[in-house]
Amino acid sequence: MSIQEHYRSRAKELLSSGTVKMVIGYGTGSTPDRRRPVFITSPDETDRLVLDKACRTNLSGYLLREGLLSDQKQVAVFFNLDGVRSLNILAAESQLETAQVLVLGFRIEGEEVTALQGERAADFKSLIAAAKEQRKSQPPHELQEKLEAMTPKERFSFWEAEFSRCIKCYACRQACPMCWCRRCVVDNNQPQWVNTSSHTLGNLEWNLLRAFHLAGRCVECGNCSRACPADIPLHLLNRRMSDEVQGSFDHYPGMDEAQEPVLASFRKDDPETFIL
Amino acid sequence: MSEVFEPKIVAFVCTYCTYAGADLAGTSRLKYPSNVRIVRLPCTGRISPMFILKALQKGADGVLVSGCHPGDCHFDHGNYHARRRWTVFNSLLQFAGVPEERVKFSWISAAEGIKFAELIREITEDIRKIGPFEEYHKLIAETGSAAPL
Repeated sequence: MSIQEHYRSRAKELLSSGTVKMVIGYGTGSTPDRRRPVFITSPDETDRLVLDKACRTNLSGYLLREGLLSDQKQVAVFFNLDGVRSLNILAAESQLETAQVLVLGFRIEGEEVTALQGERAADFKSLIAAAKEQRKSQPPHELQEKLEAMTPKERFSFWEAEFSRCIKCYACRQACPMCWCRRCVVDNNQPQWVNTSSHTLGNLEWNLLRAFHLAGRCVECGNCSRACPADIPLHLLNRRMSDEVQGSFDHYPGMDEAQEPVLASFRKDDPETFIL
Repeated sequence: MSEVFEPKIVAFVCTYCTYAGADLAGTSRLKYPSNVRIVRLPCTGRISPMFILKALQKGADGVLVSGCHPGDCHFDHGNYHARRRWTVFNSLLQFAGVPEERVKFSWISAAEGIKFAELIREITEDIRKIGPFEEYHKLIAETGSAAPL
């Protein structure tokens, strides 16, 4: 039985037994290589579920839709390991209870899609710990390396060119499972921290601010880069932030639901080489 | 005769240590460049990275952020939290191409009036050397609002 069939019947079973009230998964998208989220509430609809290598979107953000989890019923969601990590972060930030979320885990490796063992976020602990080690030895991203080798001036003009294309649609924010604030700081107009019109200065400020707010929280799922209509390599900023929190504070976001947020905690011996 | 470039520097300081240190520099009649505009805040923990972006947005050529030494915070651990934030934000600024001379972080206690005066001298000279933050000023000009600083 293919993994898709396996999970279709599992979803059917969960819905007909009443274990979960909804299954959030992937369905066919507007083009053959795209998938769109589907929200299935009836066992008859589980044939709409698709699971293949195109299922890249992190679906955890949908769990925070207003009222979805307020009735204490369970929801099953398709997650790869990044998704499970973001689930842990949302729980650590008191946005949901992992007991209400049933994980339908999968992993994409090249063409292969395999099932991950486990049902609850806590079942994936050892896999996440292995991913943390792997992240340390991960070879550097090509473009990131190129950027780091540039002079500040060259780097500035690289980002200036990238951000000049930004149209401030905030798709990155809407697609990001970690951007759950009811009121985003850019929507504040008193004080207005960030220029709202889409000229390069405001775009730069917005994207730096978002990268900062995601530092130590981003699981590098890539939702923002995929959502960006201007193809700005937003993941580079997030990746750089992940490198920093892992390098300086040994913090890998989403280890478990009890993990302290990196910027809301400290150690007395944190590094401070740059402070005069 | 060409005029000497006078950089505009904004210093975000905590009231218990660095502001008191700046005060000491003043009462001790120590000389330091008048290029620095001091913004006093309750604690370094109150200093949001957005303040730094705002200062640059208003045309600053350099920013200094300073507070109590680790262990000396009036609120016990505000500066420890700030330190983590600075670590992350500093690397983000550098990755974005903001030269490291332009945004500086320091610990200055209420007793370190001399350190304050010397640091202000030093960063003013460093920024004078690299000149105005033209790249950023160009972006500000694009927005059509003049830098009021």
